[in-house]
Amino acid sequence: MTINKTALALSVGAALLAGSVQAQENKLYLFNWTEYMDPEIIEAFEEKYDVEVVQNYFNSLPEMLSKLQAGGVSQYDIIVPSNYYVPRLIETGLVQKLDKAKLPNFANVMEQFQDPVFDPGAEYTAPYQWGTTGVVYNTETFPDAPKSWSLLFDPEVNPDHPFALMGDGQVSLGGACAYLGHGYDCTDPEGWKEAARLLIETKGRDTFSGFTDGTPALQQLARGVTHIGLSYNGDYLFFKDEDPESFETLDFMIPDEGAEMWVDSMMITSEAPNADMAHKFIDFILDAEVGAQLSNYNYYASPNAAAEPYLDEVLTVPPVQPSEDDMARLRFTPSLEGESLQIFQQLWSEVQSR
Amino acid sequence: MRKRTLKRGLTGFWWFTLAFLYLPLAVVMLFSFNASNSAARFTGFSLRWYERLLGNEEILSAFANSMVLAIVSSVIALGVGCLIGYGMYRHRHRKLGWLIVLIYLPIVLPDIVFGISEMAFFVQIHRLTGLFQPGLGTMIIAHVTFQIPFVALIVYSRFVGLDPTLFEAAKDLYATPAKRVIHFMLPTIKPALISAFFLSFTLSVDDFVISFFTAGPESATLPIYIWGAIKKGVSPEINAIATLMIGAVAIAAIISLMFSRRRQA
Amino acid sequence: MSYAGVTPTARSRAMVRESRHLLFTVAPGATWIIIFLVLPSAYLMGVAFMTNGPYGLPEMPLSLESFRRLAGFGFLGWSPGNLYTLLRSLWQTLVSTGLVVIVAYPIAYYISTCRAKWRPIMLLLVVVPSWTNQVIRTFGWMNLLAPGTPLSGLAESLGLIAPNMGLYPSNFAVTLGLVYNFLPFMVLPLYAAFEKLDTAQVEAAQDLYASPVRAFWHAVFPQTLPGLLAGIVLVAIPAFGMYVIPELLGGGKGMMLGNLVANQFSGGANWPLGAAGAILMLIATFIGLYAMRRIGKRLGGGEEVVI
Repeated sequence: MTINKTALALSVGAALLAGSVQAQENKLYLFNWTEYMDPEIIEAFEEKYDVEVVQNYFNSLPEMLSKLQAGGVSQYDIIVPSNYYVPRLIETGLVQKLDKAKLPNFANVMEQFQDPVFDPGAEYTAPYQWGTTGVVYNTETFPDAPKSWSLLFDPEVNPDHPFALMGDGQVSLGGACAYLGHGYDCTDPEGWKEAARLLIETKGRDTFSGFTDGTPALQQLARGVTHIGLSYNGDYLFFKDEDPESFETLDFMIPDEGAEMWVDSMMITSEAPNADMAHKFIDFILDAEVGAQLSNYNYYASPNAAAEPYLDEVLTVPPVQPSEDDMARLRFTPSLEGESLQIFQQLWSEVQSR
Repeated sequence: MRKRTLKRGLTGFWWFTLAFLYLPLAVVMLFSFNASNSAARFTGFSLRWYERLLGNEEILSAFANSMVLAIVSSVIALGVGCLIGYGMYRHRHRKLGWLIVLIYLPIVLPDIVFGISEMAFFVQIHRLTGLFQPGLGTMIIAHVTFQIPFVALIVYSRFVGLDPTLFEAAKDLYATPAKRVIHFMLPTIKPALISAFFLSFTLSVDDFVISFFTAGPESATLPIYIWGAIKKGVSPEINAIATLMIGAVAIAAIISLMFSRRRQA
Repeated sequence: MSYAGVTPTARSRAMVRESRHLLFTVAPGATWIIIFLVLPSAYLMGVAFMTNGPYGLPEMPLSLESFRRLAGFGFLGWSPGNLYTLLRSLWQTLVSTGLVVIVAYPIAYYISTCRAKWRPIMLLLVVVPSWTNQVIRTFGWMNLLAPGTPLSGLAESLGLIAPNMGLYPSNFAVTLGLVYNFLPFMVLPLYAAFEKLDTAQVEAAQDLYASPVRAFWHAVFPQTLPGLLAGIVLVAIPAFGMYVIPELLGGGKGMMLGNLVANQFSGGANWPLGAAGAILMLIATFIGLYAMRRIGKRLGGGEEVVI
């Protein structure tokens, strides 16, 4: 009997403990990319609304989506996905509409972001930052690097230095598409198949070192593990500022065949435990000065028109603001659904397993 | 003559294998004191990565999660597993094949299948009922599940090793089952309970895959944190946490060595 | 315990009491495992027979589509990717288990020949690295094998790898990581076998057979076979389903079945396909266990091989 009672008491205790650890009083759960938020903004918000902000991070969008599907939908309040994941989040019911009445600062948002293609009327999204995905390479190894995807995909341009592709299959596949002349945002199955074959070939090269997500790719480059990789313009500048010595010989380039431009947006999950506070947070970020502070910290372009006067100089020149020529070549990553998503998944899993 | 060369060759091979076993750990420890960010060159001694650790609240909470998870799950598994172990012993003459299969199941199931089954199941139940929100609770449940068999088997083998007449004697000595449990059974199997607890604890702290798939947003354990940090690419800080964890293991090893020495003496 | 001479009712009452006791001791744990492992596994198997929804989650109706996909048939005709992954898993399991045996056998023998007071310490030395977390151990190898490290430099100067590359990431690094990870699992059962070695038999064999090789083969090897088989089970089964090591050391080239399965869940890609992969893994596991038991029974003669 005693053992039974003890076991019972213990399991009750454990249940209580487990419960108390998860009890959410006044907390806001933010699920964001790594290295993407100024801690001072969090502190200011916590002070203003007397709330604790709990931050969790993801390195790639597939990772974020799977966490949401695995129960995160009722545990995170705010997520910060990129444009091409917005439609599938809406369609799967993982996010809720924003209550614009609670977002007076939404008026600060630049016009083109008030009605984005991926979310007409911005019913679900409020823009966070925007930027580009480009090729980061070692200028000592490649003093005359071509402004082209050939740096990654042509073994003659890079015969013997390690390089990495992007962990998010859509970006890697898009790059291959662009190199083959189908454009970064190609979606036709034939073009994709050709691009997938190119990726499999590229993967088979001795110098291929792996599929790496954007932020870690920069760490690898800085440590000399790879000499070419794919990453984001703002992260590149952010880490360059942190470690100027290692980044002195690294440069960021947008291939002439076209590359990715993206917008990351704040969204509220459909079962957010604290949706009201989530609105307050989004409005806080959309404030002119906070928005500028965020961009100044992140080195990403701000979608906030009112923030412009407060932006640092570096945010108004390349690579943060791409040159007009580059701008014309940038494309959104296509948002996939239905059969095209299935085809992409199959091609990508084929690439991964070969 | 030939025997001696064989012995000498084996001795050499032994030291080579030891080097193989400890080199990766030694490198992690060495580079945790590296002054620079480089993973390839040691540029000087520094404690900067440890200083960074100290202020890192995420690591502290990951450590706390690891401890809560290991202790709570081990305690529950000890209670439940102990009962099964005794039941298996007491009824060992019956046909308990199904029970043996059940007990071995968590041991032979590949980690990844284990973790994913639990995740898919919890997600589905959560969707239907709102219970089993991913977090420490679900992790504890999963850990207890793989700890129970080990506890049960250890306790069972301890009982099997006892002289059966002891039980008869105990029956004469103590009137009620409760007294028998407190004054006879628990004291006799105490060593088994202690080693079962430590094994459960170690299994829990050591687990990554199952925790990874059952964790929630706030319940990252140290291995999950380290995994994230590796994926993120921040190397030197991982070296520093890893070194601390290796240090903890080394201390545990020395303690267990002292215990086994004392038992021999 | 005999119930002879007791009235039938008293006897059945005793049996009821015994049954209640059995229920009381075994039920909590058994229920726990059934609810939290058997049911989830059964659910996962059910998922394998469902249709993949547009965003990777399982949906009705039931279908065998996921098994078709696992076999490589998709929208685009047949493709060998999954087959590659399966063969790679089998190959890695085979090679790493073989290497582990080659290293562990002499080590276990050596330990058993050393003085008794050193043996526990030597065993501990072999086991301690496996007490550290798997992720950390693997990370250690990432450090050791990265480009620019002495080991990579050595391999480069020997012409084993392309210049500027490291030994990691590669399939070789995965094999190494597997061997490192599972070595203790093989040393322990082998050592137990060596310790019980019947020396009289060995000496007789030394007299009987001229060559030490034959003496070993006829007298020593059969006696260590149960330990060897136990070790193989302990190494091969988890190696086949390994997730962490290929993920960290393979660098996208060394994907194994465990990664294929995990990717279907962690990339939000295709739960039914992942579940079908898990079933494949289970089948392989049970075939392995069954085969080992059969061989063990025939060679070891009895209950020696306990998994």
